Amino acid sequence: MIRYLARRAAHGLLMLFGVSILLFLLFQAAPGDFLSEAKLNSQISPGTMAQLRAQYGLDQSLPIRYWQWAKSSVRGEFGYSFSYNAPAASLLWPRARNTLLLSVPALIISWLIALPLGVLVAGWKGKWADRLFSGGTSTLLALPDVLIALLALLIALKTGMFPVDGMTAINAQDEGWWAWLRDLGWHMLLPVAALVVGSLAIILRHVRNSVGEVLESSYMRATEGHGLPRYKLLFGYALPAAANPLISLFGLSVAVLLSGSLLIEVVMSWPGIGPLLLEAILARDLFLVIGAVMLSTVFLIVGNLLGDVLLYAFDPRIRRGL
Amino acid sequence: MTSGDLGLLKPEPLLRASALSVDYDAAGGDVVSALRNLDLEIADGESVGVLGESGSGKSSLALALLHLLPRNARVASGRVEYRGRSLAEFSAAQLRAMRGGEVALISQEPALALNPVLPLRRQLADVLLAHHKLDRGAVSGRCNEMLREVGFPDPERILRAYPHELSGGQRQRVAIAQALICRPRLLIADEPLSALDTATQAEILELLQRLKRDLRLAMLFITHNAGTLAALADNIIVMREGEVAARGSMGKLQSSLDEYVQGMLFPEKNLSGEPRASDQAADEGPLLEVRDLNKKFVQQRMLSRKKFAVQSLIGIDLSLQRGSTVAVLGRSGSGKSTLARCLAGFETPDSGDILFRGKPEEKKDGVRRRVQMIFQDAATSINPRFTARQVVAEPLEIARWETDAERTALALALMEEVGLDPEWALRLAGEFSGGQRQRLALARALAAEPELLIMDEALSGLDMPLQAQMVRLLMDLQSRHGLTYLYISHDLNFISLFAQEVIVMEAGRIVERTTPAKLAASTNPATRELVEASERLHAPGVEAAV
Repeated sequence: MIRYLARRAAHGLLMLFGVSILLFLLFQAAPGDFLSEAKLNSQISPGTMAQLRAQYGLDQSLPIRYWQWAKSSVRGEFGYSFSYNAPAASLLWPRARNTLLLSVPALIISWLIALPLGVLVAGWKGKWADRLFSGGTSTLLALPDVLIALLALLIALKTGMFPVDGMTAINAQDEGWWAWLRDLGWHMLLPVAALVVGSLAIILRHVRNSVGEVLESSYMRATEGHGLPRYKLLFGYALPAAANPLISLFGLSVAVLLSGSLLIEVVMSWPGIGPLLLEAILARDLFLVIGAVMLSTVFLIVGNLLGDVLLYAFDPRIRRGL
Repeated sequence: MTSGDLGLLKPEPLLRASALSVDYDAAGGDVVSALRNLDLEIADGESVGVLGESGSGKSSLALALLHLLPRNARVASGRVEYRGRSLAEFSAAQLRAMRGGEVALISQEPALALNPVLPLRRQLADVLLAHHKLDRGAVSGRCNEMLREVGFPDPERILRAYPHELSGGQRQRVAIAQALICRPRLLIADEPLSALDTATQAEILELLQRLKRDLRLAMLFITHNAGTLAALADNIIVMREGEVAARGSMGKLQSSLDEYVQGMLFPEKNLSGEPRASDQAADEGPLLEVRDLNKKFVQQRMLSRKKFAVQSLIGIDLSLQRGSTVAVLGRSGSGKSTLARCLAGFETPDSGDILFRGKPEEKKDGVRRRVQMIFQDAATSINPRFTARQVVAEPLEIARWETDAERTALALALMEEVGLDPEWALRLAGEFSGGQRQRLALARALAAEPELLIMDEALSGLDMPLQAQMVRLLMDLQSRHGLTYLYISHDLNFISLFAQEVIVMEAGRIVERTTPAKLAASTNPATRELVEASERLHAPGVEAAV
């Protein structure tokens, strides 16, 4: 097992290396750079431009720039942001933390709601309650994230009860950590709710379908024929047998923890990684974009690995060899 | 049904179905009736056999008796009574108490009767706990005891295992243990043997006989194989298309004049004629020759570097004469299927030669078209969303043979040849029954104009009367087209009528080459095991190549 994890970690590092090279090549191929806009400004002399290019290292060849970036990554800086004049890492870490502050609770809440509810709905298959839920999840699925975010904004505006101005009120820290925490929670409420609403329908559908499929199987009929109580049938027998696709889905939701909430963050002005990435892309702030994408890749790798490890832990057919 | 009839002090039956009808809602709003006006009584300790071909409503009966019909089915009329009380009046809790506690079910496929991801200890213990309040020690003791009763000398090992770690026969034993652990009064066994190989079938049948005797268990034994009922059932109900065709003791039924009943009891009577000598010219040379074929499978467990080599074929020599039928027999896992797959070109052997008409396999596609294969489960080898015409014409389309109209004409002709109504050409393959789908698979194989047809347990999934029909069809086609058959099977049904040569395989080797006539006199232990299992199973019924 440990050897397997080590191998997967090595694969992950290789993949990160590949992704970074690909990103450099893509940026090279894309037109323009951080200074393109400044070039249009006639007040800046060509001499100054050349000086700036040299300062930012944009006059170097691609391999040299990659080497410089790799060295700074080893130092833990992950390059230098042009627009913030600071190491990319020092900008990314707090933003990533803020994003996780939204997406981790949203992930946990969605799964805590969707798992039991999905199993129950699967048990009601064909009855009116199931049809109602199918209709509901279809509607939710059809709603684009932007619309959900805008609806949340509308609620905040109409009720005037929810703050939509970032993470905390300006004076929150003055009144002690408890007040600060309460204020933070209050600020988190709407974005987290929007995220939950956005992801709930997909998870609910997957749970309902895979459990529903297992319920039709002959071993579930056999188990029912042995007179087991209903809740045990659903949660003790059907859910474990239906878990494999759900575990893979869980791995995927871990993989998008950093990138999944981008839109909500931008709309609700949450200081997460989303708005930062958007700005960086627009400004062609090379290393910041690369840093953010690399960070997402790390989550993707970890999410997939987590899914595989959970599968190994839950499915005896994988654990003990088929 | 009052108990007031003086003199007739017949005890109240354990289970009674009166005028029971079950309907299914089929796709497109049709109502299909699976069971019509069935009357059935099972007294305490009595064994009733239900005999019928597939589609005769046997399984619907088993489910209706436990009030376990699927969502799209319902009891249309009649009632089921347990100890004189209608099941319709049972509350959900009472139904649960009856299921498993009083009336237990063993279902058809042992592979699919157990939850694949839960340890067997839990699956066995939960049945017990659903009906009794017991502490851990008592549960564990009872589970051990029950597993010993169904013939596991080492119950702890089984309790720690998962279903995929057991063989089919072991899984069926565990399913029986699950059914009997609460000491029910009645056991409903729905085709408990049909998915097992012959030797295992005989073991399980013996076990059921012993348990029935020791526990004074009432039993409803559902099967398509009359042979098994002779050993088990006091009374037999023969079913046909959801209705009772005949009932009575085995002796009474054997003297019945009804053609259907006779067909169920003696499927081989449908086949006439003597074992045939192969009629090919001896000097022509073999169609297919196999020399010293070896195949090893290397398995690697996930997350582990250890590799396990499984020697699947060891030094196989084989020669098939044109127009002959060679039967390959053996238990599951003896390498029969690997041999078939090597010959059909699905697997590449590690060493050895496969000569087709004296020449080695040069262009794979060419040979593969002359060698066609039919699999055990036509349901999985045919795309259910294809129409019958598409299924049969598929090989022609792949070969870009002639025009679309000609392909269709040939497909229709082939359907007729295998006994399917060409009018069904536009029906979806998924709507055909198991036997019909096997005929479709046969028509598809014939479309490629093969010289050698490999049948890998192609008949095992069918019930006896259908098998007899297929054998007749195959013999017919053989004489018309000069086909060569390699017939792979785990049982001996129809072998003597069908094959000129028999090869017995065990653990990857050919352990005996003989003819069907000499099979019964064989002294080889592997052959003896197959012959004896077959004799035990088919006591009055199917010929066992003797």
